[in-house]
Amino acid sequence: MAQSMAYNASAGLSGMLKKGHQSFSGLTDATLRNVEACREISTVTRTSLGPNGMNKLVVNHLGRIIVTSDCCAIVKELEIEHPAAKMLQMAAEAQDFECGDGTNLVVSFAGELLSQTEDLFRMGLHPADVVSGYSSAGEKLLEFLEEMTSEVEGVADGRMKEQLERAIRPVLAAKQLGSEDVLAPLVAEACLGTMSSGGKAAVNVESVRVAKILGGNIHQSHVVHGFVALRGVEMTLTSCENAKIAVFSCGIEASATEAKGTVLMKNAEDLKSYNKSEEKKMEEVIKSIADSGVKVIVSGGSVSEMALHFIERYGMLCLKIGSKWELRRLCVATGSTALVRMGAPTPDEMGWCDDVKQIEVGGKPVTVFNQKDDSGKSKLSTIVLRASTSSVLADLERAIDDGVHAANTACKDGRLVPGAGATEMELSLKIIAFADTCPGLDQYAIRAFGKALEVVPRTLAENAGLDQGSVLAALGAAHASGKKSAGIDIDAMGVATATGIKDETNVLDLYATKSTAFRLAIDAALTVLRVDQIIMSKQAGGGRNAAMDPMAGM
Amino acid sequence: MSSRLRELSPNAEIVSHGAALAVNIAASSGLQNVLKSNLGPRGTLKMLVGGAGLIKLTKDGNVLLHEMQIQHPTAALIARTATAQDEVTGDGTTSTVLLCGELLKQAHRYTSEGLHPRAIADGFDIARDATLSFLDSFKVTKDDNNTLIQNDRELMKCLASTSLHTKLDHDLASSLSDAIVDSIQCILPSNNNDDINSKRPIDLNNVEIMTMQRKLSSDSKFINGLVLDHGGRHPDMPKVLTNCHVMTCNVTFEYEKTEVQSGFFYSNAEEREKLVESERKWLDERCRRVVEFKRSVCKDGESFVMINQKGIDPLSLDIFAKEGILCLRRAKRRNMERLTLACGGSPIHSVEDLEKDMLGWAGKVSEVSLGDDKFTFVEECRHAKSCTLLLQGPNGHTIDQMKDAVRDGLRAVKNAIEDGALVPGGGAFELAAALHLRDVVVKSTKGRAKLGVEAYAEALLVIPKTLAENSGFDVQDSILKLVDAREDSGLAVGLDCKTGEPMIPADEGVWDNVRVKRQCLHLATVLASQLLLVDEVMRAGKQMGKAPEGAEDMQ
Repeated sequence: MAQSMAYNASAGLSGMLKKGHQSFSGLTDATLRNVEACREISTVTRTSLGPNGMNKLVVNHLGRIIVTSDCCAIVKELEIEHPAAKMLQMAAEAQDFECGDGTNLVVSFAGELLSQTEDLFRMGLHPADVVSGYSSAGEKLLEFLEEMTSEVEGVADGRMKEQLERAIRPVLAAKQLGSEDVLAPLVAEACLGTMSSGGKAAVNVESVRVAKILGGNIHQSHVVHGFVALRGVEMTLTSCENAKIAVFSCGIEASATEAKGTVLMKNAEDLKSYNKSEEKKMEEVIKSIADSGVKVIVSGGSVSEMALHFIERYGMLCLKIGSKWELRRLCVATGSTALVRMGAPTPDEMGWCDDVKQIEVGGKPVTVFNQKDDSGKSKLSTIVLRASTSSVLADLERAIDDGVHAANTACKDGRLVPGAGATEMELSLKIIAFADTCPGLDQYAIRAFGKALEVVPRTLAENAGLDQGSVLAALGAAHASGKKSAGIDIDAMGVATATGIKDETNVLDLYATKSTAFRLAIDAALTVLRVDQIIMSKQAGGGRNAAMDPMAGM
Repeated sequence: MSSRLRELSPNAEIVSHGAALAVNIAASSGLQNVLKSNLGPRGTLKMLVGGAGLIKLTKDGNVLLHEMQIQHPTAALIARTATAQDEVTGDGTTSTVLLCGELLKQAHRYTSEGLHPRAIADGFDIARDATLSFLDSFKVTKDDNNTLIQNDRELMKCLASTSLHTKLDHDLASSLSDAIVDSIQCILPSNNNDDINSKRPIDLNNVEIMTMQRKLSSDSKFINGLVLDHGGRHPDMPKVLTNCHVMTCNVTFEYEKTEVQSGFFYSNAEEREKLVESERKWLDERCRRVVEFKRSVCKDGESFVMINQKGIDPLSLDIFAKEGILCLRRAKRRNMERLTLACGGSPIHSVEDLEKDMLGWAGKVSEVSLGDDKFTFVEECRHAKSCTLLLQGPNGHTIDQMKDAVRDGLRAVKNAIEDGALVPGGGAFELAAALHLRDVVVKSTKGRAKLGVEAYAEALLVIPKTLAENSGFDVQDSILKLVDAREDSGLAVGLDCKTGEPMIPADEGVWDNVRVKRQCLHLATVLASQLLLVDEVMRAGKQMGKAPEGAEDMQ
């Protein structure tokens, strides 16, 4: 009887918890498994690092196909369930949120840091030693990184197109190799268009929009200083210059009372006259708007047929924009105030646009609100992107997003560090040198940390098809001899005389992006290492079978 | 006996006598083993994965027990008691579980030799009373007006950091303890000799804990003012204002429907327009009053912020936006109370008779957007009596971890101020109490209860022992060193978790709360005695047709 109760000691933890839970503890069961999972995820993303990184084709649970080399998008769509690997995903997402770029650096570096620990554990180091070694190395790393900013000239003025392009180009090149010469000027132009004339240069990420239109090719992409609505106007009239604009966030229709209203009619006459009075009222409103000089009406809600009729009659343009955010952006682009009540706008509520027209792009009518170049009127820029397939478009959009983020960061903190693996190589050497000065057990961890930094140049070389062994050796030698900004030359493949490295790399990375990436990566790795026990409850939603169980492999 | 129960309820299960005790002891020591590795500043983290795949990282015994979904009846009983400990004092959950488990383990040594559990339970009671009175003589009292804890910033910081270090990693704990002390000092009742004021309890609700998922956890900070988790609802409202009058109100700016069924009747559009207008009229009137009021109070360079608990409709927002007023609608009730404490002024319930002294003041009000979420910072308040701890971190689990820790840290400082006394930490109290029991109480106790007291003394040592184990030192060596040091010096001696050597907690700034210790001793002893005295565990027969749960999970 007592046995059947099975409240026995041998059941341990699992005897106490709800059925279906799993738990793992200790170095081999928890820590090493976590490390393994993280290494797996970083080997997946690593091949996408850098300009020569490969694309991944991910089919998500909705069956949508995503082709990208953007690490954050990959890990997000992978729907990782392993808790430790999820740490890396979260770190990548945080990086994406903060800087928009450098997500692959986060995952690759954190993965490499963790896979280095396997050897350390095998040597007999305690996770606590590794944690303390890694965190002291991390502090040093950020110090050294800041020193590296003196190697290259930063972005001094965010208003200079060339300087801005210099910061944006490597970011775009990492995502869309070959298109960066087309995209970088576009992004720079769009960012410059949104900057206000006074004060410090600053880019608001929200004010650079991308309008994706299928068809054509990337060279047909261009920047509009203003707003592009992906739908046509409602009228026969399709273009208008030097137009005053009235924006209504409500619908353009007969107003209604908040409380329930009922029309009281006694006979057919009443019905007729009621309709008449409606028409008259509407005409009054539209006429008053037309009289105030407005040529374009934009509505955030529906536009009644009757209203359309009168708008047409008074020779105005009318456009419906369904989304509240889009409407808001249009207001920013034209400098208008959205009205919440029907009626003529006052002069300062009206917007102004130099050129409003409906054009057809790739068989699709779009309405373009364009302010003349350098008029500085528009606080919004739109990049009209053209490409052949929707997945390419989506990928280009992601690249541009990263580029805009880079411009944003560059305006805030213009310091640059050498890219192309140069910074990482230099830091690696410095950290290893630092390890030699440390007396304790954690020197092994610090050395492993330095070694882990090599993952960036090594992967760059590997992805570029170079012989990583010899290139890394050459790079190490170059740095040892004091060439601090020597980096990988990704175009060296097949060139017999090339050594695979450039003594002065022209690829530059933003300091702010890099330091955040390092911090997040170190943070994620340390968190994973600090865990000694995992307790998982039963998966919610009974439909899952064992094969889908994330820990089934454990 | 069991067969008789069978007849009554064919599915019921029972275990009795020795087996019941074994079940209880096994469960409590099982739970003890799970929580053991969390104790102390060098304890490790546990990663909990919930049913929906949500990750939680924790070192906090309370969080762990809450999230673990314990089903074993004995273990659940212990877990519930331990979480009650957390509710009362905010700390000491892990210690309670450890102590309870160890008490049972020690008791088992005697019961297996045939001693009746009742004798041990009696011994436990004697030992507990002795320990509690020892606690009163051991604690360091600070109730003299000059050494009041709330006047000693350094001491408060030590308290906060002792609590935080057991829950967060080192750097974070140090930076957050400063923030905690700042907030406690902010909400402390004014410290003059006015009796009513200084006797008022500390209300931790006045510290808002706001989380933002961005930046790094080291960016968490103390904010002199409030952070609200929503923003202005109109795009044209200002984002940053300085020298603000803050109007905290609870007035609706929305059309309110009548209580009874009502409607309008009209027969042409003209009439309808009029009705629409009249509907708006009383709202417009309200807005106009506020706008006029704003104009009358705001001088040059000053601005006006309105924070409303009720709604504000788009048309009214529009009117305020034109006036340059920042409006927040549908603010949380608790924030309304805090706002008046932080900024001053009083809540306004009608726009009829507005007066200037009903307004609060903030040096800076700014709006920050984070993705789709907006946050409003009301900062630089004068004489704020409410404040915010802004916790920031790159992901949800870091923030959760900080949130739990900060809550405990605040409670630790509050407890100490209310107790007016402290206990040296680092296992010092447990060590001293165990020695006291052994040397004094055991000798003065007669009869079989003596054994219970002995067991109790041994069990108390579990705290310093576990501290030593988690820090990676040899348990016996460390304990012996501690005992020697205590006996030689007679001072309160605790374990230094970095070196494994004895240290004086008072010098290192490791302090624990009196009430945490007291509560812990009470709960653990009561629980252990109860479990010891259980002679039968019965489970009613629902769902018991299947194999027992534990057996299945064992594979």
